[in-house]
Amino acid sequence: MRRALTALFGAAALAAPVVDVAQAATKSKVTVVKKTVSGAETQVDRWGTIRVTLVVKKTTTVTGTKKKVSRSIVSVKVPVYPNHTDRSVYINQQALPYLVQETLHAQMNPNIQLISGATDTSDAFVQSLQSAILLAKKV
Amino acid sequence: MQRVEHVMGMPIVVDVRDDGVDGTIVEQVFDWLRHVDAVFSTYKEDSEISRLERGELLLEHAQPDVRAVLERCAELREKTDGYFDARYAGKLDPSGLVKGWAVDRAAAILDEGGVRNYAVSAGGDMRVRGGALPDPAWRIGIQHPHRRDQVAAVVETRSLAVATSGEYARGRHVWNPHTSAPPNGVLSVTIAGPDLATADAYATAAFAMGARGPHWTARLNGYEAMTILADGLVLSTPGFATARETTFA
Repeated sequence: MRRALTALFGAAALAAPVVDVAQAATKSKVTVVKKTVSGAETQVDRWGTIRVTLVVKKTTTVTGTKKKVSRSIVSVKVPVYPNHTDRSVYINQQALPYLVQETLHAQMNPNIQLISGATDTSDAFVQSLQSAILLAKKV
Repeated sequence: MQRVEHVMGMPIVVDVRDDGVDGTIVEQVFDWLRHVDAVFSTYKEDSEISRLERGELLLEHAQPDVRAVLERCAELREKTDGYFDARYAGKLDPSGLVKGWAVDRAAAILDEGGVRNYAVSAGGDMRVRGGALPDPAWRIGIQHPHRRDQVAAVVETRSLAVATSGEYARGRHVWNPHTSAPPNGVLSVTIAGPDLATADAYATAAFAMGARGPHWTARLNGYEAMTILADGLVLSTPGFATARETTFA
């Protein structure tokens, strides 16, 4: 949800100056939606099944009576893939898109119980955050 | 029931959420952790690890646990192309594995005691099971590398081990054993999977690999990863991204 909103604002900000110059008189309305679409689970030879999920960004620009729709794939995931032998696992790990790329976001999240962070021995911070969370639950 | 104690050089949190659990089982967990510290500490002169290092104890005379941990270290060294190494500057130091291994065994003590809803967290690495009752699951925040009061992601789970290795917390404590230099470009690596000892070793290794780390994590079997890069990019394996997305819904 948060990412969808960010994308919406980002797209609107980029689109606005273009609209101002080209269509000073007519207002354009830009709508951006992100949708996740899942392909059917599909048999791969005798090896098992695969399912591909895409996140599609659809940008609709309406200027007067003209409507322009553009779509782009923003992420590809393979939640189901053949893994019934070590070899097929190996092949798939080489071949399938395997890293999802995003921009770092910070969030305040009071509704968590634990923090995983880089610390070796008595690093005060993660632990104090941890104990603060434990205490916050008792307030 | 929540208890925090300083063992093995770090505060350890044991959080048991089942009804009707008395303190005995939690006491057993801390007894176990103190035992591990006595046997494995590199700071204690009379620990088996110190005695092995000084040549006063032969490996075949060491406790079965010590031999098992050192064998696992050797296996993980191989699996990580030498990036996870129980020898630091030539000195025997398996503590990178011992913490996770000790927490895994602590979880087994709780399992065998019939506890179904718990978390054991040691220095930012943890193992959870069931839910943080009354919540149906545990929600684990992944520390944001720059904003200390915020998290970069949240994973919701009913059974998982999560370990993070990075250099924002204590300065550089993980070094590339091949070049003796700190890794560049990576702020933290988080690994999630069934076993904390392995997750922790993989996180240490992937972090030490630097820019090559994320691609290495993508090929791990049964373990998912999230790497935060210095330029603000986050690279996740599909399984990790999926686990996180449920929390955005």
